[in-house]
Amino acid sequence: MRRYVQAPGPIGEYSGLSLRQRAGPLDLVYVAYGLLVVAVVVASYLFGAFGWLPHDPQAMNVGLINAAPFTSGHLLGTDFLGRDLQARLILGIQAYFLPGLLAITISVAGGSILGVLAGYKGGWFDTIITYFDNLLDSFPRLVLILLVIAAFKPDIYYVMVVVGITGMPVVANLIAGKIAFLRQKSFIEAAHALGLPAHTVILKHILWLNCRALLVIQATLGMAEAILVETSLSYLGFGVQEPTPSWGNMVQAGANYFLQGNFWPSTAPALAILATILGFQLLGDGLNNLLEGKRRK
Amino acid sequence: MDALLLAIENLRTYFYSRAKRAFIRSVDGVSLDVARGETLGIVGESGSGKSVTALSAAGLVTAGPGVIGGRIELASNGARRNLLDGLEKYARVTERDGRVMAVEKDERGWRKHSETLMTGVRGKEIAMIFQNPRSALNPYSTIGKQLVETIRLHTNFKGEREAKERAIHWLDRVRIDSPALRFDNFPFGMSGGMCQRAMIAMALSAEPSLLIADEPTTGLDATIQSRIVDLLAELKAETGITTLLISHDISVIQRLSDRIAVMYGGTVVETGRAAEVLAPQAPARHPYTAALLASIPSAETIRRKSYLQAIEGEVLDTIDVPRGCRFYGRCNRVTEAIRDNCAGLEPPLGEVAPGHKVRCWLYPAAGKA
Repeated sequence: MRRYVQAPGPIGEYSGLSLRQRAGPLDLVYVAYGLLVVAVVVASYLFGAFGWLPHDPQAMNVGLINAAPFTSGHLLGTDFLGRDLQARLILGIQAYFLPGLLAITISVAGGSILGVLAGYKGGWFDTIITYFDNLLDSFPRLVLILLVIAAFKPDIYYVMVVVGITGMPVVANLIAGKIAFLRQKSFIEAAHALGLPAHTVILKHILWLNCRALLVIQATLGMAEAILVETSLSYLGFGVQEPTPSWGNMVQAGANYFLQGNFWPSTAPALAILATILGFQLLGDGLNNLLEGKRRK
Repeated sequence: MDALLLAIENLRTYFYSRAKRAFIRSVDGVSLDVARGETLGIVGESGSGKSVTALSAAGLVTAGPGVIGGRIELASNGARRNLLDGLEKYARVTERDGRVMAVEKDERGWRKHSETLMTGVRGKEIAMIFQNPRSALNPYSTIGKQLVETIRLHTNFKGEREAKERAIHWLDRVRIDSPALRFDNFPFGMSGGMCQRAMIAMALSAEPSLLIADEPTTGLDATIQSRIVDLLAELKAETGITTLLISHDISVIQRLSDRIAVMYGGTVVETGRAAEVLAPQAPARHPYTAALLASIPSAETIRRKSYLQAIEGEVLDTIDVPRGCRFYGRCNRVTEAIRDNCAGLEPPLGEVAPGHKVRCWLYPAAGKA
C-alpha cells in the first residue's frame, strides 16, 4: 500500500529534489571520499606549514633505515636515511599545495575570461581561442613543461604557470559552450533589456550564478592534474630537490631499495599520490553529477 | 506635454547574409507614432520585421550591420530625445537607385555611442517583456532576487528591505498568489504564466514610460495566454502605461490595442485605429490585412470542419525585395488598371480616411500622396 503525505511547510512551496534524489548511487560516496581527502590535505598542509610534525623530517637515524611501518616511534616507518616517513609525507604536501592553487587560479580565472570573450563577444575571439586550444593540444604538456624548465629554471612555480595556462582552453571551452547554451534562453537579452549593466550580467548572472558549479569542478580536476605533474617532475628529478621532501622524489629515493625487498619507503608516497589524485578526481566527477546533473562519459 | 511618446521615422535595420552576399532588409523604412497612454499593436507574419523594430527601439540589435538609418524619438522629462542621435557618423551607407549597396560601419564606435544614449533609457524608460518567459528569467536565481535587482537599479528603493517590500508589492500587482512566498521561488518551480507575470512585474517595477511587449503570449498555454492578456489589460487600465504590443495573433492585438500597424516584408502596409482596421466591412483595406483576417478560423469553419484559410505563397524573402509592391507576388486583388504600378513602383502610405493609411495602389489616395 502506498501512502501519500503532504509535506510540512507552506502549501505550494517548491522544495526541489533533495541531494539524495539527484545523486547516482555512488556519487555521494565519491564526494564524501573526495571531501575527506581535501580535508586531510588541507589539515596536513597547515601542520606542515606550522611545523607541527610527529618527527623532525630531516633527522637521520642510521641505525634504523628502511624500517617497516609501526616501528616504535615511526608510525609509517623510515626511509633509506632513517628519516621519519610520516613527517616527510606530511611535509611533501608543501611541494604541490600552493603551486597547485596557483595553477588552478590561473586556469580558472584565465579560462573564464577567455570563455566569456569567446561566448559572449564571439567573432574573432572565438577563432583565436580555438587556435590557442589547437596549438596547446599539439604539444604534449610534459614537453612544454620541460621546455620551460630548460629555458628558465627548475622552479615548481614556473611549472605551475605552464600547467595553469595549458588548463585554460578546457575551462574556456566549457564556459563558452555554457554561454552558447544560455544564449538560447533569452534571459541574458532580457537582463540587458531591463537595463542591467554589462558587467553585472557577465559577472553575476553568467559567471557567478550559472557557471560557479562548473568552475568548482574544473578547479578540483585541475588540482588533481597539478599534483600529478608535480609528483612526476619530482620523480624525474626536475621538480623539488632532495633533501626537501616531495611525494615524487620520495618514490624515486625509495625505488633504489625496492628490488632488495624494501618496498615500503617507495610504496607509501605512491599510495599517497594515488589516494589523493583519486580523491580530487572523484570529487570533481561526483560534483559534476550532482551539480551539473549529467554524467561524464 | 508632448502628446507623442515614441516616434520612429524611416527606421532601417538590415542584416547581412554571408552565404548570399546580400542584405536582409528586415526593417526597411518603418515609421510609427505612439501617443502617450495608447497601445499600438504591430501585427504581421513571422519575418515581417515586427520584433526587429522593437529591438531596434530598445537598442538591442547586436548582429551587423544592424540599424543603419532613421530616427527613434522618445519623449522623456519634457524633452524629445533621438535615441539614434549622432550615430549616423559611424555608418556610411552607399545607395544606388534607392537600394543600399554597401554599408561600412564602425561597430565598436556605434555600440559605445549607442550604449551612452541608452543608459538610463533601457529598462528605466523603455522596458521589455519577451516570449517564452521561462527562459527570460535566470534559472539560478530566485524571482525575488531578480526583481530586487531591477528595483534597486532603477528606483529610489535602494535599501535591501524596502526593495524587497516593493518587489512583493509588484508581485501582488501582477496577481501572483501569496507573493511573499513566491518571492523565494526559482523560475523552474513556477508555471510559464507565473514566470511571465514575474517578468511583467520586473519590467513595470522601474515605472517605465514605454512597455514593449514582444509576443508576450507566445509559448504559453491557450488558457494562460488569455489570462496574461487580461492582466495586461488590467495593468493598462491601472497605470495607463504606453505600450508597443507585438504579436502575430490578431485576437491578442484586437483585445489590447488602440491603434494597429500591419507590417509586411519590413514595411508598414496599413495603420489606423484598431476599430477601423479590423472592422468587418472596412471601406478601405490592404489586401494583406484582408488575407490575415480571412485566415482567422471562425466558429463556422471549425463547425463545418472545412479547411483553414491560408495566405497563398510564402512570406516575402527580405533579401530579394521586388521593385514594386512587396505583396504583389501574393496579392489576389491586382487589377489590370493598376498592374503596372504594382509590379514596378512601391506604393506610398496613402491616407484613405483621417488617421487611416494604406500602402496600396487600389486606393486613389496612394496616387495623391
